[in-house]
Amino acid sequence: MLRSKTFLKKTRAGGVVKIVREHYLRDDIGCGAPACSACGGAHAGPALELQPRDQASSLCPWPHYLLPDTNVLLHQIDVLEHPAIRNVIVLQTVMQEVRNRSAPIYKRIRDVTNNQEKHFYTFTNEHHKETYIEQEQGENANDRNDRAIRVAAKWYNEHLKRVAADSQLQVILITNDRKNKEKAVQEGIPAFTCEEYVKSLTANPELIDRLAYLSDEMNEIESGKIIFSEHLPLSKLQQGIKSGSYLQGTFRASRENYLEATVWIHGDKEEEKEILIQGIKHLNRAVHEDIVAVELLPRSQWVAPSSVVLDDEGQNEDDVEKDEERELLLKTAVSEKMLRPTGRVVGIIKRNWRPYCGMLSKSDIKESRRHLFTPADKRIPRIRIETRQASALEGRRIIVAIDGWPRNSRYPNGHFVKNLGDVGEKETETEVLLLEHDVPHQPFSQAVLSFLPRMPWSITEEDMKNREDLRHLCVCSVDPPGCTDIDDALHCRELSNGNLEVGVHIADVSHFIRPGNALDQESARRGTTVYLCEKRIDMVPELLSSNLCSLRSNVDRLAFSCIWEMNHNAEILKTRFTKSVINSKASLTYAEAQMRIDSAAMNDDITTSLRGLNQLAKILKKGRIEKGALTLSSPEIRFHMDSETHDPIDLQTKELRETNSMVEEFMLLANISVAKKIHEEFSEHALLRKHPAPPPSNYDILVKAAKSKNLQIKTDTAKSLADSLDRAESPDFPYLNTLLRILATRCMMQAVYFCSGMDNDFHHYGLASPIYTHFTSPIRRYADIIVHRLLAVAIGADCTYPELTDKHKLSDICKNLNFRHKMAQYAQRASVAFHTQLFFKSKGIVSEEAYILFVRKNAIVVLIPKYGLEGTVFFEEKDKPKPRLAYDDEIPSLRIEGTVFHVFDKVKVKITLDSSNLQHQKIRMALVEPQIPGINIPPNVADKALTAPGGKKRKLEK
Amino acid sequence: ASVALSEAEKVYIVHGVQEDLRVDGRGCEDYRCVEVETDVVSNTSGSARVKLGHTDILVGVKAEMGTPKLEKPNEGYLEFFVDCSANATPEFEGRGGDDLGTEIANTLYRIFNNKSSVDLRSLCISPREHCWVLYVDVLLLECGGNLFDAISIAVKAALFNTRIPRVRVLEDEEGAKDIELSDDPYDCIRLSVENVPCIVTLCKIGCRHVVDATLQEEACSLASLLVSVTSKGVVTCMRKVGKGSLDPESIFEMMESSKRVGKVLHVSLQSLLHKEESLGPKRPRVGFLG
Repeated sequence: MLRSKTFLKKTRAGGVVKIVREHYLRDDIGCGAPACSACGGAHAGPALELQPRDQASSLCPWPHYLLPDTNVLLHQIDVLEHPAIRNVIVLQTVMQEVRNRSAPIYKRIRDVTNNQEKHFYTFTNEHHKETYIEQEQGENANDRNDRAIRVAAKWYNEHLKRVAADSQLQVILITNDRKNKEKAVQEGIPAFTCEEYVKSLTANPELIDRLAYLSDEMNEIESGKIIFSEHLPLSKLQQGIKSGSYLQGTFRASRENYLEATVWIHGDKEEEKEILIQGIKHLNRAVHEDIVAVELLPRSQWVAPSSVVLDDEGQNEDDVEKDEERELLLKTAVSEKMLRPTGRVVGIIKRNWRPYCGMLSKSDIKESRRHLFTPADKRIPRIRIETRQASALEGRRIIVAIDGWPRNSRYPNGHFVKNLGDVGEKETETEVLLLEHDVPHQPFSQAVLSFLPRMPWSITEEDMKNREDLRHLCVCSVDPPGCTDIDDALHCRELSNGNLEVGVHIADVSHFIRPGNALDQESARRGTTVYLCEKRIDMVPELLSSNLCSLRSNVDRLAFSCIWEMNHNAEILKTRFTKSVINSKASLTYAEAQMRIDSAAMNDDITTSLRGLNQLAKILKKGRIEKGALTLSSPEIRFHMDSETHDPIDLQTKELRETNSMVEEFMLLANISVAKKIHEEFSEHALLRKHPAPPPSNYDILVKAAKSKNLQIKTDTAKSLADSLDRAESPDFPYLNTLLRILATRCMMQAVYFCSGMDNDFHHYGLASPIYTHFTSPIRRYADIIVHRLLAVAIGADCTYPELTDKHKLSDICKNLNFRHKMAQYAQRASVAFHTQLFFKSKGIVSEEAYILFVRKNAIVVLIPKYGLEGTVFFEEKDKPKPRLAYDDEIPSLRIEGTVFHVFDKVKVKITLDSSNLQHQKIRMALVEPQIPGINIPPNVADKALTAPGGKKRKLEK
Repeated sequence: ASVALSEAEKVYIVHGVQEDLRVDGRGCEDYRCVEVETDVVSNTSGSARVKLGHTDILVGVKAEMGTPKLEKPNEGYLEFFVDCSANATPEFEGRGGDDLGTEIANTLYRIFNNKSSVDLRSLCISPREHCWVLYVDVLLLECGGNLFDAISIAVKAALFNTRIPRVRVLEDEEGAKDIELSDDPYDCIRLSVENVPCIVTLCKIGCRHVVDATLQEEACSLASLLVSVTSKGVVTCMRKVGKGSLDPESIFEMMESSKRVGKVLHVSLQSLLHKEESLGPKRPRVGFLG
């Protein structure tokens, strides 16, 4: 049956357009109950249970299905995700509304409906002949959808009665809208509010905590006083933004000061890029990352950013007066020059709330069910939640979601979502840092796994099409010890004409991950494999990463090969790319490979091959350095793990061998060759990687630091920088060169992926290459998969697809990849930091030698080479007389009492673990040498200082 | 569109008219049977299809937002466009129908060019800034004589069927205006078509004149008179077509009969449109397959 749906729409230009869509109604849509005789089992995928038994609700003891409306789905998704809630009918009407209103919740409900265990059934009521309704006169879109939901609920009840009259099966409408509920009851549909229903589930009392707490009346009783001014409606905000009276931007709360924030204005007006917001009323309930509209205050009310550090310590819920006092504290006298454009938040354009990790601060009042939650991220305000399991949650890391922020409440309201585990536990902390860095780490869904090849897998005739058989070659791989995702292998052999043939073979991941399927989408979303200290978060399922794609020894594997013909001076005579099958003869570690090269006794094929490669690599490296490639350094540390407890027992900095650099050279060469090829073939949509040259001012700190040691660093070109770094040696200070290189690394810009059609600067500064891309690690980077696909199309080994040649899509992919890479890096650092803490926790207090990296106004930043650990030594402490400090920006140096500190000075510091703040444990460093009276802590006092934080902790717990 | 007639055929027709008996049995002031259906094209704001004998006309009205004309800041306006489909007759192929199309469009502009036909003020959203522009698109599907009358009936029916979405102009303190669209699709403005005129074409055949001439009759006529008449019998516009001449006395006679015929035409059209509307949105549709 055909109907047409008509609706009016406003276009961006301001016109009104009438849109007509054809709408087909069907009579063969099943109700989702298995073995339903009327509509048959026409459905694959998750369906309802025949006899939903396990929900013991005191409100309706007989078996039933649930049918939630849109608002319940939007706000109570945490309840619905709980394993106790099963057998839910999700209407298409509801799905569509959720999709329009919140993409993340839509994603979550999709995950739930795809889960077989949950028995959620999506009923396409809009296309069902009997449940489709048209909007009536005098009815708005919302009313119509509510009616559609009721009609579907009624249809279900009648349908089930007809089909299974004896089972007393019912469908219960769950709605929080009072009018909708009344109407439903009038029409004879059993209906409850979400709260009523959840409370009736006597078997699962923990569900009540998950209820989002929304009803306005409850808040009003609590305090009638209105703290915040009202948010303007969206339509007014848009008008205001159009006319220029309001500005739209991203709200960024300050880490140091909870009463201050900045708003980054979208758009390209240079001068007013950033607007300062100060004071709790002006912040007006905006939360970090929200898109807000701000109004600029008159110039007379502008303020300067304060340098005060303020933590929100209020335990009492509504100490607004105290906040106001504190605000005054911020407004210290400042010069005119310091004033910055200041504004106030008038409305929220888009909330960017996500579930937050943190800890519960239990209420002082015993038996109270209302508690404050302190997020781990200091930029997020505390959240008030209601829970009965406060004592159980104490000292745990938990996740809380914000539900809303009423005008009369000092804190936003939220609800408890998940308990991650004890604070300080390795699993808990790992989970926290993954969540906080937005690293997708859930196990791969069934849909994704369904695209994996079936085991046992073997190479078929089909696979051999467009593929060269290179199994006879003596290929081997060289990787760090314990590596299971081997994505590169090498070979080198002498040709009959005296030249050398060198091959780089990369795992052919794009053979297994076909464009557009769920597996592809999931890897595109993850973007990269994240390596934490003791855990790897894979980008592709393990079957691929550690088995089928991993180029292990003595098995046939599919590869993408890049083969050069070179002469003995490492000049490339010929380059060719081909898909291939290889059979690696050995998987070596760097050390093993090095041993083979060095030991004269070994002369087998693999060893000769390695020697040839090593020779060429040395020449290549020399050539590259001559061109101006930088050799930078960053202290990388590895943990020795206890095999039983997986606790770190020792750490060491990574060793670099010749073989590391050998593999690296050939990977670089392959990447550059591929980059040239794909750019040649697809000038508009090649995925490349660039590394912009840093602005000259970035080097100031490096140049000054070198000068203080009487060395000269030239920074005009990469080449001169590399040369001057090489020359900067000091015979009596061998570590100086490494320090300079560490410092130089800090001056660099971030390398990024981009689409060649969207940019015209391709240069890779660090590698001194005019063009570069990533080709060699498709198992752990999605960028490489795209590059593989491009290259495969270029050599005619695979077919193309529309998205591949759409530069806007490609540019979106690049954006996501850059974000994921950044986050992966942060997560990695956080993981190292956490393990360092664990290490020092077990180790107790140690004193180590360190070098000064930076000098600040009231502190020095030091690096301990032994641990590759960086830390800050503060010279000003709370509740202590301030020492005399004199900071010189030019040299830069810091004079404390009589001692002067320069960059690169050697000092001795004491390392301790500061756990005064349970959520933010950190490594604390204190100066031991040189001795400055009043600064150094004598050993006995140090012990006391260590116990002090514990005392503070106890106070907090009260 | 024209047909070739032999002398004998012409004489037969002319003599018949003389006797007030036309080839298809009608009298001189009788119309052929008219079929009207509205709301036939769903993506227009209003539409109508009219069949008059073999003449088949489709009219769509599309309301779009525009800016009022400078000289009339408080009014919206109508735009006419006539498309002569080559389906109607092979002569229209290519640009063959352009001249006829322009001629019809110009005629329509003329008959609507007065204050009383449509209340243009009701089409104004905000003076000098926004108004509704009604694009009236006429499509000739088949020509079977008396195009003008059929078109004018179809235009009137389509305007009657037109529903313009109701919009509100929001104004903030700075005077910036924004247009808000009601989210109820039933919330719309209807036009009053009370004073929309219809064209009555009178063909001079021999010494008498006929209304609603067929193609054959048109071939026998040397001159005809287009008179646009409102439902009250007011003549709003008049135009002579054809190469022959008319004496003042017969012009007067023709005007009188056009008023008479026009009034009846309006009454029956009006009652038909109301009857169709009273059937509600669930009425069975005939459309193009009926």
